[in-house]
Amino acid sequence: MDMACDGRGRALRRCRAAAASVLTAALGAAVALTLSGGCGRREGTADARPVVGVSLLNVANEFIVTIEQAMRARAEELGVRLIVVDGQRSPERQVQQVETFIAQKVGAIILNPCEVEASSPAVEKARAAGVPLVNVNSETQAAPTAFVGSRDEEAARLGMTYIARRLGGTGGVLMMEGYLGQAAQLKRSAGAREVLAQHPGLKLLAAQSAEWDRAKAVTLMENWLQAYGASVRAVFAQNDEMALGALLAVERAGRKNDIVVVGVDAIGDALQAVRDGRLDATVFQDGRGQGRGAVETALRLIRKEPVARETYIPFQLVTRENAETFGRN
Amino acid sequence: MPCPLGKRNRLNPGFRAWGSRMGVVLALLATGLALACLCPQFLSVANLTNVVRQVAINGILAVGVTLVLLTGGVDLSLGSVVALSGVVAAHLAHPGEYPLAVPVLAGVLAGAACGGLNGLVVTRGRVPPFIATLGMMTAARGVALVLSGGRPVSNMGPALTRLAGDWARVPVPALVLAAVALGAAWMLRNTRQGRYLYAVGGNEQAARAAGIGVRGVKFLAYALCGALAGLAGVVLAARITTGQPNAGVAYELDPIAAVVIGGTSLAGGVGGVGGTLLGVLLMGVIGNGLDLLNVSSYYQQIVKGLIIVGAVWFDRQRRSVERE
Repeated sequence: MDMACDGRGRALRRCRAAAASVLTAALGAAVALTLSGGCGRREGTADARPVVGVSLLNVANEFIVTIEQAMRARAEELGVRLIVVDGQRSPERQVQQVETFIAQKVGAIILNPCEVEASSPAVEKARAAGVPLVNVNSETQAAPTAFVGSRDEEAARLGMTYIARRLGGTGGVLMMEGYLGQAAQLKRSAGAREVLAQHPGLKLLAAQSAEWDRAKAVTLMENWLQAYGASVRAVFAQNDEMALGALLAVERAGRKNDIVVVGVDAIGDALQAVRDGRLDATVFQDGRGQGRGAVETALRLIRKEPVARETYIPFQLVTRENAETFGRN
Repeated sequence: MPCPLGKRNRLNPGFRAWGSRMGVVLALLATGLALACLCPQFLSVANLTNVVRQVAINGILAVGVTLVLLTGGVDLSLGSVVALSGVVAAHLAHPGEYPLAVPVLAGVLAGAACGGLNGLVVTRGRVPPFIATLGMMTAARGVALVLSGGRPVSNMGPALTRLAGDWARVPVPALVLAAVALGAAWMLRNTRQGRYLYAVGGNEQAARAAGIGVRGVKFLAYALCGALAGLAGVVLAARITTGQPNAGVAYELDPIAAVVIGGTSLAGGVGGVGGTLLGVLLMGVIGNGLDLLNVSSYYQQIVKGLIIVGAVWFDRQRRSVERE
């Protein structure tokens, strides 16, 4: 069949190709329509509800999903229509998404920025178009209309202070950092180093990125245990995924009794590990509070009501003593 | 092909593969020696055990993608398939629900299904492998996210997590890699399908003219590669005791790099599993060494990039000298 080079074969093949492309296009359109629940209809009947466009960092991240669910629930309560899109960790995509929101004439935009600098153009475009924009969870270089989130330095200070207390102020500490250059990594590193500076007895043996990733954290911790051996007394991981990875390596090496492991975020798995007495501590970041706060602020901006330029949702240290009081974040 | 030596080697891929491994062997020895001098912990039994544990996932993926690269194709969907099969396996691995074989097989089958679909799209739809597997990269990640609701699937029973533990002081993932590599090497050497993989990658027209079912051979390569990615996903889930929908991002790059370092040609037809394992080990040793030496993560990325390009560069130079 592949050898058929005569006119009939070619025509047949061209016909088949055309049919395939039509079919693909139709299939694509059908899937898009099904998933969106029929966008044409909605635009036709002029929904009176205020519309807020939301661009999220990455919906493959458990913590971001928590924020998203809280936003959807709060929007439902307040009668706000949300258009939620996934930035998939790409600042460039976020800029495009904000441009689309502006073209759709949304009342306000909630941005969960991928990066401090690179997501800034998105903020500037919204400002130029006169659409109020709320940054949630992380910051951008460009100033948004309002910010709802938490101070990442505070989370790291809480975690590292707990380590200092557990070690009695002396011992070797390792720090696992997030993606280098992200706002959360920079601030959590800064907060942790502040505490280390106050405790000269605490020695930072090494600080490396495990890119927020559990599997990478297992590998890094295995290697660190080889390199630093008995001098390791504590690990501060800048998120729970990495803390859980480090914990697995520590447990497999039989060192859990003499190494303190602390994470940040209080994701479900980490809370469970704290309750089980495996993870020493995590720091609760109130994703639910941030999501609800962002929607509330966006609605006030649409209604031209006064808002606080910066709303900080506090962190809380979670240990075995108080773990029961925290639900699934 | 104006070069007679090249032609001869094409007829005898095993010979060519052995020759091209020397560069990697030297690089591995040099790196090992340097690390042993710079940091005494490197040669400890515990650390070397860690290295083989850590390279296992990359190794299983690399063996799979060797088969695809031999046919002259490529598979960019590995990382997403790893995530998908991990999520599938973790869903079936809650304590006391199913025997161990169920999550393992389900994970492998999920991978084989993705790989098989890749194979069908490439052979029947005549979509270039780059595009077909790029589509699968996105789609499989999406399925993993849908199945898990975007959250890690945890509460894994002890049976599956033992897959990441030790058996007689040898890490189980390393044993899995050894079995996979031996199986693939045997297949390439001793079965008709294995020989056909080289033939198809070496010269597809000639293979077709010789009556080889090119489509079937390619389909098999993609399906096996997918199944091995599924297996790697199960091992990864066991290692981190969860099925992570966002696991394995960019996991397709390291295996491809390892395969190329190991002397398998991106154009197909030349190479083998032995070289791939050496490439995997080289990358693993370097990663381990840089962690032991506490080299900043910024520099680690630069070093890795240099080594990938350098190893292939060295290999090319050596080969062209050989030809003259």
